Amino acid sequence: MSDKVSASESPQPSPAQPTATCMASSGTAEGDASRAHSRRYGTGDSHSYLHRQVHFGDICTESTNADGNSTAEIAANAPRYRRKSSTFIDGIHDVTADSDMAPAQLYSTMSGRLFHSGRIAIVMVGLPARGKTHICVSMARYLQCRRGRRRAGRLLFPNASPASVMLRQKILKKCREDIYAWLNHDNGQVAIYDAVNPTASGRLSLAKEFAKHDVQTLFLESYVDDENLLRENARNVKINSPDFEGMDPDEAAKLYLRRIEMKIPIFETMTENELNYIKMINAGSKFFYNNVSFNYLSHRIVFYLTNTHIKSRTTFFVRAGVATEEESFKADAPLSEEGHSYARIMCDTILSHREQEREFLKEQGGPDVPLRPLSVWTSTRMRTLQTAEPFTERGYKVRQRSQMAQINPGVCEKLSERAIRRLYPDEVEKHELDPYHHRYPRAESYHDLAVRLEPIILELEREQNDLLIIAHESVLRVLYAYLMHCSTTAIPTLKFPRNEIIEIIPAAYQNEAKRILIPGLDPRIVPSSPEGVRISVPGESPALFPGGGLSSPPETALEGLTISPAGSAPSLVTSPPPQKIVSTSKEAVEDKLLDQD
Amino acid sequence: MAPRANGIGVQVEDTKICVVMVGLPARGKSFIAQKELTPTRSPAQRYLQWLSIDAQTFNVGNYRRTEAPHPSADFFDLGNAEGEKRRRAAAEAAMHDMLDWFRQGGVIGILDATNSTKERRKWVLDTCTKEGIEVLFVESKCDDESMIMANIRDVKLTSPDYAGQDPEQAAQDFRARIKNYEKVYKSLDEDGDENDYTYLKIMDVGSQVIINRIRDYLQSRVVYYLMNLHIRPRSVWLSRHGESLYNLDGRIGGDADLSTRGHQYAQKLPELVRDSVGEDRPLTVWTSTLKRTISTARFLPENYNQLQWKALDELDAGVCDGMTYQEIKDVYPEDFVQRDEDKYNYRYRGGESYRDVVIRLEPIIMELERSEDIIIVTHQAILRCIYAYFMKKDQSASPWMNVPLHTLIKLTPRAYGTEEQRFSADIPAVSTWRGKGSTAKHENPMADTTSI
Repeated sequence: MSDKVSASESPQPSPAQPTATCMASSGTAEGDASRAHSRRYGTGDSHSYLHRQVHFGDICTESTNADGNSTAEIAANAPRYRRKSSTFIDGIHDVTADSDMAPAQLYSTMSGRLFHSGRIAIVMVGLPARGKTHICVSMARYLQCRRGRRRAGRLLFPNASPASVMLRQKILKKCREDIYAWLNHDNGQVAIYDAVNPTASGRLSLAKEFAKHDVQTLFLESYVDDENLLRENARNVKINSPDFEGMDPDEAAKLYLRRIEMKIPIFETMTENELNYIKMINAGSKFFYNNVSFNYLSHRIVFYLTNTHIKSRTTFFVRAGVATEEESFKADAPLSEEGHSYARIMCDTILSHREQEREFLKEQGGPDVPLRPLSVWTSTRMRTLQTAEPFTERGYKVRQRSQMAQINPGVCEKLSERAIRRLYPDEVEKHELDPYHHRYPRAESYHDLAVRLEPIILELEREQNDLLIIAHESVLRVLYAYLMHCSTTAIPTLKFPRNEIIEIIPAAYQNEAKRILIPGLDPRIVPSSPEGVRISVPGESPALFPGGGLSSPPETALEGLTISPAGSAPSLVTSPPPQKIVSTSKEAVEDKLLDQD
Repeated sequence: MAPRANGIGVQVEDTKICVVMVGLPARGKSFIAQKELTPTRSPAQRYLQWLSIDAQTFNVGNYRRTEAPHPSADFFDLGNAEGEKRRRAAAEAAMHDMLDWFRQGGVIGILDATNSTKERRKWVLDTCTKEGIEVLFVESKCDDESMIMANIRDVKLTSPDYAGQDPEQAAQDFRARIKNYEKVYKSLDEDGDENDYTYLKIMDVGSQVIINRIRDYLQSRVVYYLMNLHIRPRSVWLSRHGESLYNLDGRIGGDADLSTRGHQYAQKLPELVRDSVGEDRPLTVWTSTLKRTISTARFLPENYNQLQWKALDELDAGVCDGMTYQEIKDVYPEDFVQRDEDKYNYRYRGGESYRDVVIRLEPIIMELERSEDIIIVTHQAILRCIYAYFMKKDQSASPWMNVPLHTLIKLTPRAYGTEEQRFSADIPAVSTWRGKGSTAKHENPMADTTSI
């Protein structure tokens, strides 16, 4: 392999790809496939070459028979079609070794990588207390990539003595080796390297080094010249460190900022014309791009960052009420009597909860501020529209979003699990292997749903009002997984019983989820299992279509709408939701605090 | 409640935005504005309108042109008091019309002019702010002389100002006209005193970009869209799948195989594509996830990269999936009538409307705008929507367009509209076009039917 990319070479805007799918190779023979593949991604080392070969292992059929019966067969037999496992997922991608992919990992290929971007290191630039970690955490959540450990960041002294330069290089090298290992061996695509990177010369050589490893570099500088913002950042994050315990917050912030100045006396803001960079000024009030105009990823990042704001506002999730024809997707049935009564009780519960929270804050000595306005979003499906009616009647603004329609069950519509097993045994097998990506004929996979919901995710980030989302459980799963940073493997099994309102409260690094009980509901409509069984995919198993794995609960589960026994997947159904969930990005904060000094 | 239509409620944005173009002539401004909309009153369907976000361009040049159809360069000299007065009057007239239009419910107005002085921009900002309209300035800045002249030759000489004039003389005149603007031109926030404005500044065709103070989602979406536009020439090829077994039966939806003739088309498609591409440049193939499009694309050359999109699947007919129109009329007579009354908004029971399809296609359009050469093999309703985007077809007309089978369409976006070429495979196929109220299995389009 002789693909060497110079640092200034901007990434090729390769023919678009996107959401659904990509065939990553051409040629029919194994070697061709891998060669084409490495050509596209510009492989730099033999290990990753091998790695991909392994992945292409069982996928090469020469057949061009086009008269197969299923979409799967046709696609699988298409000459260019390659996949690496027996799980047919129409080429979106197979599961990567690291299955910890959140729903917003939208654009991966079967190698698990973004199709048109090759491998990218996003290198953070900026002094401490500029919100770098916050940006990293939220970007990682959105792109679902891995943060390079930032151990080395702290040691970047521009005017260091020879000994410390050695040390620095050693640690930096270790850090970068981690990144290469992730990109090469773990099939990673985007690594975020979170460090101060204060000098232009350092950044240039970093870009050169990454280029040598065939990794493109995108610098992302967080630049703050607004004093208030700086102090606010320092206060919010830094002074939790034990060093500042017992100090006046303002004093602590000042001290902290002074320390930074002493430790990093030289900081050059980015002006390097030859590098690809985004400069985010004063927490997103201004963005400056250099040299990256046709780079897909940088556009997405900026689009995302322009829509994030740290303002604290709450998101509520609730299920739609029970409909008269729970089992049918196509019927788009109206609410049943119980459904209407659920809608009224739910509405009362949320409104009084908000009122209570406000009173509580006041009692705690907080300011007596009016409640933030509440917006309500529903899908365009009947049952969500009708569930929102009590809010409309009270004058709340209800918006419909057609992207929020529930997952489409395709051929599974109205079929029992037994029938699905009988009619589509192969599909069931594939589904069990990968419940997140597998798509039943004409149905949507959870991945499809996540792709469809992406505009909603961006809009959700932008929304300034408190927000109530009334949706089908499948939609709640994906949105929840995004906000709480759950892995894709967990998505199909997340549970949202109807008697609980999920409240998600944003914090600097991790969102917090609370569950609020809706009292006085008919217990028959409460359990989350009917969702799996009755609404989304009318198999008897709560786990069959939207859920993971096939369990075989007794037929009686259908009768009383009670919680079905969980069969082979007990944890999915029975585990009660924790009262408080803190997303995995908490680790990031700890990391931050440990790194403090 | 009318559950089958969703005309109201999907796109409720309370914001009103005036997108104000800033920049010297021949910097690609009109191209950007044009993308969003055609000038003046045409019921255009570019991006925003296509998404049912009510948008309209107000081109100050058009107001000025009605007064002085073929002005020479010295008209634009600032020393020319008469010219200056007329330009000011044109700007005021455009602004007046725009505000009127906003009062009637417009969402995004595009003020297309040079707006090259701080005073003019302040005036626009103040006037809009007073009406509760947000202002997003978009500047396209370019100092590369060769790029400017290339732009003049490619784009400006098709401008109405120069209709019927000698091209070289016209180019020189236009360059002179720009020189006059350059004398007073101030780039956005050049002196740092426009730092509070919301703006997007694109320098040298995107090599540097500044985004300042984006305030809401709609603004960010406009900005994202603009950044994804690229001005390099490219084409998009569109084809339906080959004739399917369902087509033969007159059934809608489903996931049927191709007919024999459909397979013939699949075999012929590579040749059609090669002939129309004209060289050996590989395209990227997008298909839906349904058998009939994947089959149709399967013989395209090996070096064509191929992608499947769920979002390109045919409009979901819900409970009517797999039925003939006669069956639909028998089983759901009310729906049958409702759909024909408002085909764009009618949503099949448990399925989708054309409006829903457009919403799900938005990411596809974004991708198309930032991509190079693409061939899309998809379905009738989807093609109608994509075609409507490029060719600015009206919502009331687009669902009724005839999209013949076994035909390859090549679209090439240009600054003043999209060029279209068609390549027929000469393989017979049934017609899947249907007139209002008809339940015929196959019928030929009427003489006045718009045909893709």
